[in-house]
Amino acid sequence: MMCENCGKNPVTTHIKKVVNGISTEKHLCAACAKGYGFSPFKSNTFSGILSSMLGEYNEPKNTKQCACCGSTFNDIVNSGKVGCAACYEKFGEELLPYLKRLHGNVKHIGKVPNASPLAVATVNDRINALRAELNLLIKNEEFEKAATVRDEIRKLESQVNSNDGE
Amino acid sequence: MMENNIIVSSRIRLARNLKELAFPSRMTKEEFQKLNLAVKSAIMESNTPFAKTLKYIEMDSVPETEIYAMVERHVISPEFARKCAGKAIVLSEDESICIMLGEEDHIRIQVVKSGLSLEKCYDIAERLDTLLCDKLHFAFNSQFGYLTACPTNLGTGLRASVMLHLPLLEATKQISLISESVNKIGFTVRGIYGEGTSGEASLYQLSNQITLGISEKEALGNLTTITEQIIEKENDARASADKLALEDSVFRSFGILSNARKLTSEELMKYLSLIKLGASMGILDIDNNLPDKILVMGGPNMIMRKYGIMEPVERDIKRAELVRDMLTKGKTNEI
Repeated sequence: MMCENCGKNPVTTHIKKVVNGISTEKHLCAACAKGYGFSPFKSNTFSGILSSMLGEYNEPKNTKQCACCGSTFNDIVNSGKVGCAACYEKFGEELLPYLKRLHGNVKHIGKVPNASPLAVATVNDRINALRAELNLLIKNEEFEKAATVRDEIRKLESQVNSNDGE
Repeated sequence: MMENNIIVSSRIRLARNLKELAFPSRMTKEEFQKLNLAVKSAIMESNTPFAKTLKYIEMDSVPETEIYAMVERHVISPEFARKCAGKAIVLSEDESICIMLGEEDHIRIQVVKSGLSLEKCYDIAERLDTLLCDKLHFAFNSQFGYLTACPTNLGTGLRASVMLHLPLLEATKQISLISESVNKIGFTVRGIYGEGTSGEASLYQLSNQITLGISEKEALGNLTTITEQIIEKENDARASADKLALEDSVFRSFGILSNARKLTSEELMKYLSLIKLGASMGILDIDNNLPDKILVMGGPNMIMRKYGIMEPVERDIKRAELVRDMLTKGKTNEI
């Protein structure tokens, strides 16, 4: 298939847009797609994905700066690297869509540092909240839901226990 | 077993950072020293076997040839070698454990073992991680897990990889297809020296890319499953290849390597790959691990480490000598 815009090059980019329920499609070559603001990922690296996504969405310039290391969001995009641990607090929200694209997930599961009382406390807090919910569900005789909550509690408890064991 | 010959080695890498320091790209010289000392004392003053088996080495004390010989032995990354002034590593005697300090992240724990031994490697890396975690404050949050300089490592910070010898998949041009399909499920295939390198000696590294939202156990399990599938494909390709043509290339390669008087690195890799194939298919009667050993020993910096600094032309002569020697010894040892 040839590009529907220039008719000279083969199609490499398919763009499907849905606006107010009406869907339109465009089949373009790389050069024309770029003209429409759609460029393919430069590479499968974080900075490649970041810059190509920023190109697509044309986000307004972010002037926030990390108080710890002085990085701006643009620094992170340009280098593909985050300046320090605090950047993740500062730019967590901005990073979420990229992380989602990169990993398909945005919530850590797996090992938790054993010396981090904070991390364990969060799990324990969650367990306590679930226990309260469980009691309420049993009281209301909503046993099916209660069983799901019970399983969730067990899962979290085993997580805490296995971290203690390490 | 056929599988063991295709899987050259398994490697685990854990990325960790200290809470109180900026990531290495924004660190000062003094901060690197602080990092080195913190990790050094956490390990060396610990009450664990690691304190005895591991050695703390400052890179400034290592000669340049040896630094690049370490890259050829896959002990340190090329990236670390290029910018290692003021940095340090913690290394085991057999070099299977190496902790790089101040690479892309503050701490990179690496454990390598031969064959398919991902779990064994992870077990060691995990114990080191726990030991360090007791003494140091790792950057971690419950949403993103272990915080890393590059968001591609966020979460578990775990990169698990296997090095595979895939001469037939390479010859039948199936590597790029495999690479594409494993890419879609969060894995990557690349050359032996890691990021940005091509497959040399038909050696490829398969590793996980997704580190956030997946547990360590699951990541290792998935990698093992995919590895098994790739091995099956390579075995299929080996079984359906023209036997005589294969034997011919294997023996020709053996002939060249056991007789050449001058050998470049490229030539060595090309012919060694076929010799390795011949050994693993029982065509050649040599020890299965010998080609891997020769490949490491024949690296330019490994040669200079042994014979002294020299020009590439002289190196090619020394390389040919070394390879001839190793191949004939390997053969007589077997018989």
